[in-house]
Amino acid sequence: MKAFQYATAHSTASAQQLVADKGAYIAGGNDLLGLLKEYLVSADTLVNIKSLPGLGKIEHGKSFWTIGALVTVAQIEHDADIQKTFPGLHEAASDVASQQIRNVATVGGNLAQHSRCWYFRHRDIKCLKKHGDLCYARQSENRYHSLFTGNDCISPVVSSLATTFAALDATAIVLRDGKELRWSMAELYAEAFKNPLAHNSLQPGDLILRVEIPTSRNRSAFSQVSEKHAFDWALVSCAAAAEVVDGKLKSPRVALGSVSNMPHEVAAANEFLDGKVLDDAVATQAADLILKGAKPLQMNAYKVPMAHALIRRTLLKLKGDV
Amino acid sequence: MPSWPAETKYISHATARIDGAAKVTGKARYSSDIQANGWLYGMILRSKWPAAKITDINLDKALQVPGIKAAVLSRGKEMTIRYYGEEIAAVAGTSKQACLDALRAIEVTAQPLPFVVRENDAIKSDSPRVWENAANYPAPRVRQNGDVDTAFGQCAAVIEGSYSTPIQIHNPMETAGNTVSWTDEGVTAWSSTQGISSVRDGLAGSLKLDHSKVRVITEYMGGGFGAKFGPGVEGVLAAKLSKEAKAPVRLMLTRFDQALAVGNRPSSFQKIKLGAAADGTFLAFEAENYGTAGIGAGGDGGGGGGGADIPMPYLYKVPNTRVKQAAVAVNAGSARAFRAPGNPPASYGIESAIDDLAVKLGLDPLEVRLKNDPNKIRQREYALGAEKFGWKQKYKKPGSSPGVVKTGIGCAGAAWPAGGASRNTHGEASINPDGSIEFRLGVQDIGTGTRTVIAVVAAEMLGLKPEQITVKVGDTRFPPGPGSGGSTTCASISPTVHNICTKALEQLQTLSGLADARGANWFAACKKIGISPLLISGQWVEGLSSSPAGGVQFAEVEVDTETGLVTVKKMLGVHDCGLIIDTLTLESQINGGIIMGMGYALYEERVMDDLSGVMLNPNFETYKLPGIADVPEIEVVLINMPERGVIGIGEPATVPTAGAIANAVANAIGVRVGSLPITPAKILAALGKVPPATA
Repeated sequence: MKAFQYATAHSTASAQQLVADKGAYIAGGNDLLGLLKEYLVSADTLVNIKSLPGLGKIEHGKSFWTIGALVTVAQIEHDADIQKTFPGLHEAASDVASQQIRNVATVGGNLAQHSRCWYFRHRDIKCLKKHGDLCYARQSENRYHSLFTGNDCISPVVSSLATTFAALDATAIVLRDGKELRWSMAELYAEAFKNPLAHNSLQPGDLILRVEIPTSRNRSAFSQVSEKHAFDWALVSCAAAAEVVDGKLKSPRVALGSVSNMPHEVAAANEFLDGKVLDDAVATQAADLILKGAKPLQMNAYKVPMAHALIRRTLLKLKGDV
Repeated sequence: MPSWPAETKYISHATARIDGAAKVTGKARYSSDIQANGWLYGMILRSKWPAAKITDINLDKALQVPGIKAAVLSRGKEMTIRYYGEEIAAVAGTSKQACLDALRAIEVTAQPLPFVVRENDAIKSDSPRVWENAANYPAPRVRQNGDVDTAFGQCAAVIEGSYSTPIQIHNPMETAGNTVSWTDEGVTAWSSTQGISSVRDGLAGSLKLDHSKVRVITEYMGGGFGAKFGPGVEGVLAAKLSKEAKAPVRLMLTRFDQALAVGNRPSSFQKIKLGAAADGTFLAFEAENYGTAGIGAGGDGGGGGGGADIPMPYLYKVPNTRVKQAAVAVNAGSARAFRAPGNPPASYGIESAIDDLAVKLGLDPLEVRLKNDPNKIRQREYALGAEKFGWKQKYKKPGSSPGVVKTGIGCAGAAWPAGGASRNTHGEASINPDGSIEFRLGVQDIGTGTRTVIAVVAAEMLGLKPEQITVKVGDTRFPPGPGSGGSTTCASISPTVHNICTKALEQLQTLSGLADARGANWFAACKKIGISPLLISGQWVEGLSSSPAGGVQFAEVEVDTETGLVTVKKMLGVHDCGLIIDTLTLESQINGGIIMGMGYALYEERVMDDLSGVMLNPNFETYKLPGIADVPEIEVVLINMPERGVIGIGEPATVPTAGAIANAVANAIGVRVGSLPITPAKILAALGKVPPATA
């Protein structure tokens, strides 16, 4: 990697000042260090944000809970209150990478991680995402790639936390130029959906501070399928959340991960599910709506039936049947 | 004729590795731990092109990087590149970062050339040539027995299937590499090798030195699986760097390097036609197979690799056979021997075909194997294994398991027709008047427990405890022994130690006048040795070892027919390897073979990109190896056969696993996935659930 300065910030203001235009924030470092070592990212300054006050807490509000950006994935995994209140989030956190990685990986870093596309990550490939003129995956090895995209890049968002936050209708609070922006997950990844160079909507210097999760949805669930049984990326992941009243879904939301360059959400499906009592037929119709318009490629079409099964299973988990 | 003791205290019992504590506490020094005085880091610049003509390489700027002490070319300033990752140059410096910076400062002028990285493209006659003067795909060799065409006409059932296997990469825990020190006195290499003698000879040859001027030391090494017999380009480059820098150079490959340039198991694309009588007796077999050993096939005579042929129809007796095979060259790293070369792909192909045929005939696939496998020991193992596994109770018609998650079982046979021992195995022992004894053998421990085998045999023969035996291996200054390959080490060293012990006892008995110098008398006998230690030399002797080893394995799986995920629930291996030396290290080796076979069945695959010619997964993120969560209950049943003498087990343990798992999957879902690895995507495709591409 290239040489860099290292600084520890003790306030968000100084963090933003230190990182300036060409720096990068470092917390767990799982993604950043790999990117630096492969020369995929260069930063003149690494700003250690682990000492920023107040960002490492999980706070229980009445209408929403707050999860600080420095909360680790392992903290979420092992928090008994999270498991009770947001079981889907607990499941998603438990499936992230390995225990060692979960111990240091932070919520902020998980949301801001860059594409895992094997062309993007390859040191000797200059793909569309690296200012090249070709999405290699589109024409060649696309088994791990997207069914939906708003541009020519088909590398999916792989953050399971983002998928789950989307289903929970969580808000990411991002500090930009001293002001707090409030973004839905769709907004956090909107730029990646339309711009092949982007991994998310964050601009240099933007800092994720926390995530706010409304408590109105008392049921949530998450499932993923990987090629291996642990420590492997999801081929497809699915999160669902709703308030269940007298067996009926209220304000249900479903999101898919690893199939689009943003968490894949379909408003028509959420609307369809609203007020329904879940059964196989309802879950199947919702899955059909969510996968409508999928554009499978030569090697990733398997994700369509896989996602279909996961949507049905995850929805039925909301009901408590599975 | 010498013989093994009939009653044993250590042989055929469980002895923990004598170096286990050293290994788990970090006291054991592996090749990658060596820090010779004043050592430098070494690193290799690899080609970013899959094929290119290099016309100039300028090292000047690399040499100006602070901390860089040497830079050398791999071959010359002009060279032809034939695969992505081929070595171009190397640097040595005082830090990793200095080396990385230097590699980026090397200027290479090259003209990219057309390339081909996929087997099915390379077999086309108009594909870009990997070697200028040879076709990528030579005419297949044909081997025939009997009258195949007539015999197929007489079959009650005939199946035709395609079965393919991917390139598997050697991924030992310790990557390939060496620390090399080249001084006026000669070369010392601390090498991560499974063959200290072959590395010495290889280095001496490449560096044009007398063999006597090269010493290779491998105290501990972290696995090789067949890829670490020679010094490799990286070893020779480390030596050249050391000479130029006048300092020892440690050049251990990165995981990225390891995936590209130091070997792999060739792929196979098998078309098999198999026919049998109504009772399951095989009558005719026809097969066409091609695979790639990378640039190692089709070559100019200088290309490495072991070709890509596999034994067909493998274990089974078929009266009429016709087999056509050829290796196809592609622009990718060359193959090397890989645990039971040729056997795992052969096993997967034929064992799959057998189950497909059994289904067509409406027969139990285990019965079909018993009918056609001529090996008496395997017959016994199948019977024993079926009993333990509950085969009869568990076997159901393919696809008949109810529900979304279906269960299935399968089995397959193992063999390693080569094996045996190296007659040219020597060793020595120094016995001191205080009764302490040190064995020295010029072999190395590839990780399977060589030291422990020596200690167990010596303890048994001398009436001592294994921990009373000091064992030194891994130094070319010791009496020579074979490389650790082909499942030959145990059968080579056990008779050698037997011979040393026999001679030692004879001499001690003569010296001391005791009728038996073993056990309780050992120390009294040793007191008579005098001031200088007694030095006993011995060598391998006939009658204490044999070959081959074999076995059978059974698999039980669950397949989620909606997500395609395969979960192995249970593996049972029944194995024989003659006289068992240590049941503990033996079981460990079979566990390892089965886990490696699981990787081959379900996860591992080198993925080449046909647009750029690079390997897309030179890492453990997307080159997937089994993890602990993937590994099921493994039951190992050992058949001890002292009358056969010692036989190695390394290879057969991994041979049948993929075939057994593939058959269990086919039994579960009722359709065949005709290629490894069996991924969720392939399961869903086999079940007809995958829609066509639209984008």
